[in-house]
Amino acid sequence: MKDLPLVAVIQFPGSNCEYETARVVEVSGMECRIFRWNQLQPLRDASPDAFVLPGGFSFQDRVRAGAVAAKENLMDLVVEGASGGRPVLGICNGAQVLVESGLVPGWEPGRIEAALAANHVSGRSGYLSTWVFVRVRNGAGIGNPWLSALGGSPVPIPIAHAEGRFVFRKQDAGRTRPVEALAYCSHAGEESGVYPLNPNGSFHNLAAVMNPEGNVLAMMPHPERAFHLWQLPPWIPGEWGDRRSAALSGGNLGTAPGPGSLFFRSLLEHFGGGAA
Amino acid sequence: MDLRKELEEVIRTRGLAMRTEEAEKLAGYVGRMPTPLEFHLFDTMWSEHCSYKSSRTTLRLLPTQGPLVVLGPGEDAGIVSFAEWEGNEWCLVVAHESHNHPSQLLPVEGAATGIGGIVRDVYCMGARVTGSLDLLRFGDPAGPSGERCRSICRGVIEGIWKYGNALGVPNLGGDTRFHPGYDDNCLVNVVALGFVRRDRIVHSYAPPEAHGEQYVLILTGKPTDDTGFGGATFASSDLEDDSRKGAVQVADPFLKRVLSEANAAVLDHLFEKGVSFGFKDLGAGGIACVTSEMAAHGGLGIVVDLDSVPVSIGGLPPEVVACAETQERYGLAVPLRVAREVMDIYNVDYELPRLFPGAGAFLIGRFTEETTYRVVQAGSEVACAPVESITEGIVYTREERPAPVIPVEPEERPCRPGEDLGRMLLSFDGASRRPIWSYYDSEVQGCTRFRPGEADACVTAPIPGCSAGLAVSGDGNPWYGELDPFLAGAHAVGEAVRNVVAVGAIPIAVTDCLNYGSPEDPEVFWQFGRGVRGIAMACGVLGLHEGGGPLPVVSGNVSFYNQSSAGGAIPPSPIVAVFGRMDDFTTATDISLKEPGNTILLVGPRRDELGGSLYYRECLGHRGGRVPGFDGGLERSMAEFVLECHRRGICRSVHDISEGGLLMAAAEMSMASRPDARRGMVLNRTDADPVYLYSETPGYLMEVPPEGLASMETVPDFVSVAGRVTGTFSIRSGGMEILLEPLLDEYRSLLERVVWREEGLR
Repeated sequence: MKDLPLVAVIQFPGSNCEYETARVVEVSGMECRIFRWNQLQPLRDASPDAFVLPGGFSFQDRVRAGAVAAKENLMDLVVEGASGGRPVLGICNGAQVLVESGLVPGWEPGRIEAALAANHVSGRSGYLSTWVFVRVRNGAGIGNPWLSALGGSPVPIPIAHAEGRFVFRKQDAGRTRPVEALAYCSHAGEESGVYPLNPNGSFHNLAAVMNPEGNVLAMMPHPERAFHLWQLPPWIPGEWGDRRSAALSGGNLGTAPGPGSLFFRSLLEHFGGGAA
Repeated sequence: MDLRKELEEVIRTRGLAMRTEEAEKLAGYVGRMPTPLEFHLFDTMWSEHCSYKSSRTTLRLLPTQGPLVVLGPGEDAGIVSFAEWEGNEWCLVVAHESHNHPSQLLPVEGAATGIGGIVRDVYCMGARVTGSLDLLRFGDPAGPSGERCRSICRGVIEGIWKYGNALGVPNLGGDTRFHPGYDDNCLVNVVALGFVRRDRIVHSYAPPEAHGEQYVLILTGKPTDDTGFGGATFASSDLEDDSRKGAVQVADPFLKRVLSEANAAVLDHLFEKGVSFGFKDLGAGGIACVTSEMAAHGGLGIVVDLDSVPVSIGGLPPEVVACAETQERYGLAVPLRVAREVMDIYNVDYELPRLFPGAGAFLIGRFTEETTYRVVQAGSEVACAPVESITEGIVYTREERPAPVIPVEPEERPCRPGEDLGRMLLSFDGASRRPIWSYYDSEVQGCTRFRPGEADACVTAPIPGCSAGLAVSGDGNPWYGELDPFLAGAHAVGEAVRNVVAVGAIPIAVTDCLNYGSPEDPEVFWQFGRGVRGIAMACGVLGLHEGGGPLPVVSGNVSFYNQSSAGGAIPPSPIVAVFGRMDDFTTATDISLKEPGNTILLVGPRRDELGGSLYYRECLGHRGGRVPGFDGGLERSMAEFVLECHRRGICRSVHDISEGGLLMAAAEMSMASRPDARRGMVLNRTDADPVYLYSETPGYLMEVPPEGLASMETVPDFVSVAGRVTGTFSIRSGGMEILLEPLLDEYRSLLERVVWREEGLR
C-alpha cells in the first residue's frame, strides 16, 4: 500500500457524530477528512477512496429523517463514488440519507424503494437508546468492504434513534435477502422478531441493508460507539462480555478493540492494509 | 399625577415584577420617566433570577476558591483545571440552572430550552460541551394530581431527548425523584459541562483592547421574535396561572448545532489571528442584557441599533425586540476590522441564512468610551442609562424565621426483608430509571465509559486520546429536605461526593441549584439559609483534591418562588452536582457484582437514623423521623479509604449506600450483574434488624477479592466484612433467601408506566 486510503466523512447541517467517526477511521489506520456540506470542490479534488455519512439529525429530520440531506448537491459526488464501486457507509442518520437517496437498497439506482420509519414498539414511541446484538446475514460478509472482518457471531453494538425501522416498497423476502446485511438478534444469535430483541419493528429484524453490489451499507447501529472495548457496558453478556472482563483484569481495557472496530478493519483490509 | 403613582401605573399595565422603590431608583438613574425599554431591561436585570438580590448575602457562605479553580461564580460558567495533555492545560467548564417554571407550564419546550440555555453558558466560555445532566423532581404519579404529574414528566423527558440528542451532547444522567410537594411545581434543573484549553478561555465582556480600538457587537443566530418576553421576571414570581405561557421560549437544537460548529470556527479564527474578543450567550433579557452587560463589565458604553436586528415578526415594539428571549443567539464583541470576516464564517461558510430563514450574523452595536448604554431605533433614542446602573445590583435583607421540624419516629418497625425489599425496589423512587434514560443519547461523541445506572457516577474520557476520566453525579433528597433543610444540603453534597468516589474519582468541583419557595416568606428564607450552610459545611470537609482546602462551588443558581397560589412552597430542594477526576478512566469501577467468593465490605457504621428513609415511606407509610446525621470527619475518612482501595486496585464493584439502605444497595449490585453470569450476596448478619438493613446512614458496599484486605496494613474501625458474593441471583441472610429474579422485570419496567404510557398505577 503506497498511500493510506482517504476516507471522507460528510458533515451535513445537523450531523453530530462526525468527529468521533473521523477519529475511529484514523485510529483504524486510514486518513480521514471531514467535508462540510458545501465543500463540493474540495471534496471533488480530494477524490476520496471511501465515504462515511455520520449520525445526527441532518436538516432537523425535516420532511423525513435524511430526506433533505439526500437532495444536497454534494450527494451527487457520493452517488458518483458509489456507482464507481467506492465503499460508502451510512451510520444512523447517514443510513437514512442513503435510503432517501435511493442508493440503498439500490435495486434500481436512484429509485427510493425503502424507508427508515418511526420505531414501532408496543406502547412506546420516540427515541430509543440501547445496546443490541447484531450479526451478519448469511453470506453478506464475504468480500464486503464493511463486513468481511465480522464473521458470523453476534456482536454487541448500540443504537440510538427514533426512526430506524426498515420497510420496503415490496416487502418480499426474495428481493430483500440479497441486500440484507445485519440482523438484530440475542447474544446467542436467536432472532425473535419482537421487542426488545428487535428494538424497532424492523422488517426481517434488519439493522443494516446494502446495495446489491455490497459497497454501500446503511446501518442503524453506531460502530464508532463500540469501537473500543472500554465503550461496552458492564452487563454485556456472551463472548464480548468475557473479552471485556478479561481486559479489565488484564489491565489492557484502554487499548483492546471493540466489535465496532471490525467494520473499519474490513475497510482497511479491502484496501489491502492491515493484517489480512 | 406624581411620579410614584405614574411608576406604579406602568408597573401594573406592563405586568412588571419590579417594586415601586426599584422603579423610583431607575427613574433616578435616568433622570426622568423611564422608557418602556428601560422598564423591561431593569425589570429583568433586577429580577431575582438575574440579580440574586435576596440570596447574594447568604451565598457568600459557600467556598468558591481553591488551587484548581480557574474561574469561580460570576460569569456564565465556572472553570476548574482538569488535565495536562499534549502541552496544554485543559479545563472543565460547568454550569447549573433551573427551568422549573417554564417546564411546569409547557413541559416539552421548558425542558428543551433548559438544556438549550445551559449549554450556551458553557459554549460561551469557549468550551466544547461534552455532557449534560438533568435533575428532575416531579409530583406523586399516583397522587391526586397524578395524571398531570405523569404528563409533565413525559413532556419534560420528551423535551430533554428532542433537544439534547439532536444537539449531540451526551446525557450523563442526573436523577429523578417523585414527591407530592412537587405536584404543582416540578423542578427541572440542568447541568452542562465542557472542556476548554486554559489559553483559550473566553470572557463574557468586551476585552480591555476595546478601550484603544473600535469594537463592535455582532449578534448571531436565530432572528428575534417575541418568545420569552418577560421570561426572567416570570421565573421570579409565583405560578399563578397559565397566562404566562408566552414567556416560555422556543428551542431549536438544529440551528444550535450548526451555530455551535460555526462558533467554533469563528473562535479558532480569532485565536489564530491573535484578536482579543468577548463572547456571551443571550439568555434572560435578550439583546438588552447581553449588550449592556458586555459593555458595562468591560468598562465601556455601547450604542445599539435596533434597526439592524433581524426579526422574524414585523412591527414589534422596541422593548420586545430588545428584551425577548428568543433562543439560539450569541453576542460577540470584536474589533470592527474583523467584523466582516467573522460574519462571513456564519453567513457564507455555514450558510445560516439558507438553513434557517432570517438567521445569520449581523453588526448591531458599537462600543463607546462614554460609559452610557444607548439604544436607538429609527433615529430616536429608546433607552439611555449610565452603565453603573447596570453593574450595581440591588440587595435585599430578607427576614428569616426558624421552623425546625420535630422528628416523630414510627411506633413500631416491623422488619420483613423479603417483603420490604420488594416494596422499596418497586416504588417510584426505588425502581430502575432505565425507562427514562432509554430516551437519552448518552454515547454521542464516543467518549462515554459508564452510562447512567451502570455505576454510581457517569464516567467519560472527555479529551480524546487523554486518559484522564471525568465522573459526574447529581443529588438532592426532598424527603430529607422537608425534615431538615440543613442536612438536606449537607447530604446532597455528601451523596454526590460518595458517588464520584465510588467509581474511583477525586471530587474537584461542585455546582448547585437551590430550589425554594418565596424568599419573602421568613420560614422559607430560613430553609434557604440552612440549605446553603449545609452545603458549605459538607464542602468544607470534603476537599479531597491535591492542594487541599474545601471542595469549591464554582457555579450555581437560585430558584425561588417554587410554589403555587393554592399549595405551599416545595420541600426545600438544594440540588448539587459533583465533578470528579481520575488519572485513568479505564480503572473506573461500576456497581455490578463480579466474582463469587469475593468479599463484601461495609464501609460506614449503621446508625438508628431512618427519618425520611425509603423504608419508612414505602414499608411503614411514615414520613417523619430523625434524618441521618452528617459526620463530616467520618464522611471524609470513608472517602479516603475507598480512594485508597481504588489506588491499590482491589475494588471489583462499589456502590454507595443511600435510599433503601444496605439491603437495597446489595440488591442493586446484584441486579446489575451480567444476565449470563448472575450474582448475589450472602450477608453475615443473620438477624432481621431494620437499622442494619435499611438505615440510610452514609456508607459504601465494596466488592474486593478474598485476599484484598490482606495488603492493607490497617483497616479502619468503620470497615467491616458484610458478606460475600455468590453465584445465585439472591440475597441471603441466615435462613432467609430473597430471590431477585421475580422482582427484576417489574423493577425495570415500573417507570415505563409513568413515562411510556397511561396504564393503571397501583
